[in-house]
Amino acid sequence: MAQNDPILKIDSLSVSYGHVKALSDISLEVGKGEIVVLVGANGAGKTSIMETVLGANVPVGGDIEFKGIHIGGVPVDKNVRNGMFLVPEGRGVFASMTVMDNLLLGAHHNLKNSDKKLQLVFDSFPVLGERKLQVAGTLSGGERQMLAIARALMSSPDMIMVDEPSIGLAPIIVNDIFEILVNLNKEGYSILLSEQNVYKALKIAHRGYVLETGRIIKSGTAEELLNDEAVREAYLGA
Amino acid sequence: MEILIAQIFNGLSIGSIYVLLVTGFNLLLLVAMIIHFSFPVVVVFSMYISWFVMTLTGSVALGVAGGIASAVVVNVITAPMFQHIMRERGSVDINATMVISMGMGMIITDILSHTFNQGFPIAFPDALTGNDQGALISVGLVSISRGQVLTLIVGIIFVAFLFWLLYKTRAGRAFRAIAEDPNGAKLVGIPLLKTGFQSYALTGILGGVTAVLMAVLLGSASAGLGDQLGHKVLAVSIIAGLGNLTGGLIIGLLLGILEAIIQGYLAGSWSNAIAFIVMLVVILAKPKGVFGSKL
Repeated sequence: MAQNDPILKIDSLSVSYGHVKALSDISLEVGKGEIVVLVGANGAGKTSIMETVLGANVPVGGDIEFKGIHIGGVPVDKNVRNGMFLVPEGRGVFASMTVMDNLLLGAHHNLKNSDKKLQLVFDSFPVLGERKLQVAGTLSGGERQMLAIARALMSSPDMIMVDEPSIGLAPIIVNDIFEILVNLNKEGYSILLSEQNVYKALKIAHRGYVLETGRIIKSGTAEELLNDEAVREAYLGA
Repeated sequence: MEILIAQIFNGLSIGSIYVLLVTGFNLLLLVAMIIHFSFPVVVVFSMYISWFVMTLTGSVALGVAGGIASAVVVNVITAPMFQHIMRERGSVDINATMVISMGMGMIITDILSHTFNQGFPIAFPDALTGNDQGALISVGLVSISRGQVLTLIVGIIFVAFLFWLLYKTRAGRAFRAIAEDPNGAKLVGIPLLKTGFQSYALTGILGGVTAVLMAVLLGSASAGLGDQLGHKVLAVSIIAGLGNLTGGLIIGLLLGILEAIIQGYLAGSWSNAIAFIVMLVVILAKPKGVFGSKL
């Protein structure tokens, strides 16, 4: 992969919530067209990394570059405009609003061509088209995850961050969601993924980083990590 | 029977004032995330400004414009105070915003009772209220004034406009997203402070229009009116379910009708006490609000 030309580059990033240090000295890269997975237990800092890149947290130290531009401290709405979108843990869809409204929220910063974008999304996810006037609260877990991903596409992103997409979903649905991510990646979207389902995630990813209590303890290609003794023992139960 | 019909109509027009005030209060609660129970005090302030401009220039049109503009200005210049707290806390802080709202209410009420008309209640000119032209419809005991009809019609149009804005426009979509889940709204790239600011401006226009309608309907105002309305609006919002726009609409109209009927059959000065007794009973039976809180 084109690691020499990263879309996202994080350098010695530190983040604190009050006195609690959430991330220390995080350095990682997402290359253009790559799927990069963040692996680690609950509280290891996966969500913190994504939310900080998005601009929801202000870093205390370090540097974040997106498409070659420094974005540390840039607010979320500007980062979304610049081409990144987060599919948050727990989907983050608005249950009382219609599928259509949820999708249009993804394009909130730029409603131009939204009809065309809606059509593309409905072509890829026909179930959302059938239910566009239903409120999102009536969708199943898998459909909500599709809606959250489709909403990300509505923002015309270059990079999508997907936080724990498999949580609370039946294994067969998880396979569907991962297939969607692989297809999106083939279409050219760069993806930063966080997963506790380490085996499945590494199977679709190009590279990965292993996090423990706010630090990166290991990184490598997906294959290297899958074959790593320590990773196998800690996360794959083998 | 005729008294009942007359009082129901009367109640609908005063009820539509309550609906406008409660809707403004709820929008600020949902989108700006503040408990601004002095919002009705701001509205009464706009009535005074409207009166002041009318008295000064003799022009009803300028008075109306001045009243609406003053509500927008007050809302917009006080917004940074409320937003400062939101930014500092990084999350919704309803308690601290209540202190600001309370203080604003006291300051404005004091200004109104010391500065305008030597502290006496103000009376609006007939050119605005249309009182000199008599009742619009008068059948037996039933008499309906121009002011009542105007208030009801404009009230309906404005509430319809607000619901259109909320459910059919880009800004409204962002408002609803913030109302449902502020953090989720932030993560999809909706700027919370900027969108919140829009809600201050919108409720300012809403408050200004309400002020003009109150001037037409009541024909007069006193400094204490804002506090009285503030209590009622807070009560209506809580009884309907905090932040529940449709609930506020229904309970607001019902309160207006209840008060008017009490006034029709009993000495008028008891209407507040009885209305609050009824509201006490309702809140005891339904502590979370009749239609459920949307917070």
